[in-house]
Amino acid sequence: MTTPTPRVIVPSAAAKGEIFQVKTIISHEMETGLRHDDQGNVIPRKIINKFVCRYNNSVVFSVDLHEAISANPFFEFSLLATESGRLDFVWEEDGGAVYALSHQLTVG
Amino acid sequence: MSLTRRDVLLAASAGFAGAALFSPGSARANDEALDLVKQLTGRTATRSDRLRLIMPAEFPTGYTVPMSLDIESPMTEADHVRQIRVFAPQNPIVEVVSFQLVPQRSLPRVSTRIRLAKPQHVVAVAEMNDGVLLMTTAWVRVATDGCA
Repeated sequence: MTTPTPRVIVPSAAAKGEIFQVKTIISHEMETGLRHDDQGNVIPRKIINKFVCRYNNSVVFSVDLHEAISANPFFEFSLLATESGRLDFVWEEDGGAVYALSHQLTVG
Repeated sequence: MSLTRRDVLLAASAGFAGAALFSPGSARANDEALDLVKQLTGRTATRSDRLRLIMPAEFPTGYTVPMSLDIESPMTEADHVRQIRVFAPQNPIVEVVSFQLVPQRSLPRVSTRIRLAKPQHVVAVAEMNDGVLLMTTAWVRVATDGCA
């Protein structure tokens, strides 16, 4: 399995009160635990089960993912620009691994 | 082997039953969706036009079916969407995803891609801050099983 790699597309600047779009994707097989290998053994579940977006340390959007989210989970969502600061994006994988990115936003 | 009248009638009735089972937007589909939500959440939902679940009516692969949700809400402290949950009743695991929103910070608009095992009514439920559950469904026919 390849190492999951997260990516985000977020504007670097926004006007106060503006709604801005966030696009996130992480390369991940999202193994459902429902498939079998050639010997008939169940391939264990390994999915990204949680995604959290924080804006200056406050959670502003989060997702609980189950088996039916497609491989390479993609989310597009909208946030309100309130103040300059840092956006943190965190993906949590079954087994406890965490993948994260952060992004600086200037609100004028 | 020649087809008997009985064979023809059986085939016709099976076809008719099939059509009824899969007819989009039927009253039965609505009742089934409400029953499902009741089972899974223990609460009664109301079908609402404020909630839009946008999915293709037909899609060639069940592995990556696009899904967008859009809910009419001012997202104020007094009136907002707290959570949106999505269910695929004909998938091996019915629960698909849930999104948690925050008033005055995030909007009730989100897009992603999901797996569907077979043609079905996908169900979306929005939980409002006062505990009211709003529901809608979208009929999607997929050509291949995205869960295999």
